[in-house]
Amino acid sequence: MSGGSLAAVERWVEQPLRRFVEDARLRRTLLLHPSGQVVAQQGFARSVDVMSACALAAGIRASAGELGRMLDGRPFGELFHAGDGRQLYLADVATPRGPYVLLAVFDAESSLGLVRLYFAELAEHLAAAAPAPVAEPQVLPSGFEQELNRNLAVLFGRA
Amino acid sequence: MTIVNYATREITCKIVYYGPGRSGKTTNLHYVYEQVPDGRKGRMVSLATQTDRTLFFDFLPLDLGSISGFTTRFQLYTVPGQVYYKTTRRLVLQGADGVVFVADSQARQLDENVESLQDLHANLAEHGVDPRTVPLVLQYNKQDLPREMILPAQELDDALNFRGVPYFAADALHGRGVFETLRAISELVLRRLSSPAMAGR
Repeated sequence: MSGGSLAAVERWVEQPLRRFVEDARLRRTLLLHPSGQVVAQQGFARSVDVMSACALAAGIRASAGELGRMLDGRPFGELFHAGDGRQLYLADVATPRGPYVLLAVFDAESSLGLVRLYFAELAEHLAAAAPAPVAEPQVLPSGFEQELNRNLAVLFGRA
Repeated sequence: MTIVNYATREITCKIVYYGPGRSGKTTNLHYVYEQVPDGRKGRMVSLATQTDRTLFFDFLPLDLGSISGFTTRFQLYTVPGQVYYKTTRRLVLQGADGVVFVADSQARQLDENVESLQDLHANLAEHGVDPRTVPLVLQYNKQDLPREMILPAQELDDALNFRGVPYFAADALHGRGVFETLRAISELVLRRLSSPAMAGR
């Protein structure tokens, strides 16, 4: 049984990822941009924890990629970290919207073989589900600065 | 690359503090971390050496609260400043929505500041980003040091600020200029989201 519900910034990843989480019996899952920005998460309680985990996952992926390039000119496509009771799988997913990074945490209820098996399926499903990029509408109205300044002042105890 | 979740009305932005070694990038983040209440920040992650020099990056997630109905979060990163960490800096810079360049005001560090600024431009260009388009704020840190050791902010500005971006004199150790710098870069980054020409980035 997987732990925690799934939340996604980009809706098109939800269905393939939810299926992957169930099939591979994951405890925690992150889908992120290589820059460290979260696309979807499952199993984390706080949004700030998700951001930290994404930053670290992007860092691991980036440094291992550079190491691979140094060794033979090719980045590592997937990484596995063994732990005491929980394990971690990190892999690149190529989609028409660009590369994404998957981080999967699993325990004794799953195995690396199972995760890799279903990951191959996930990569296919994500590549098929990815919509073409579209221009989004303007997000913030002009004049947002006053609200930003007020929020920052509160944050720094200056309000 | 700013992430906008229209379904949950959330905005997430990545801001990178850049600059030469020991200019005060990590000090900026430490000051922010100490000022912000627990409920509005995550754990500060520092991948550092045993002597506290930044090895890969420092990372601090902040919750700015609601702006125009969007829950707005900032991810603050620093890069290691030493020349030999160029690859690491390029990796951390990937997808940055805005950059704070923290310059060391000490007169003897001027060349390092110039070199680091050139390095920033080179790394942005390697990511296919036009350095002239990235929201940028300059901070002239260590202005609290004795006058004979430092260059005045205006002189540093003449040497470094050829884009004419906002700049701030700072003493990050005691907090002077830290808030103002963060406010300025936040405004520049979010302004891109209020400009129809930049929408969809």
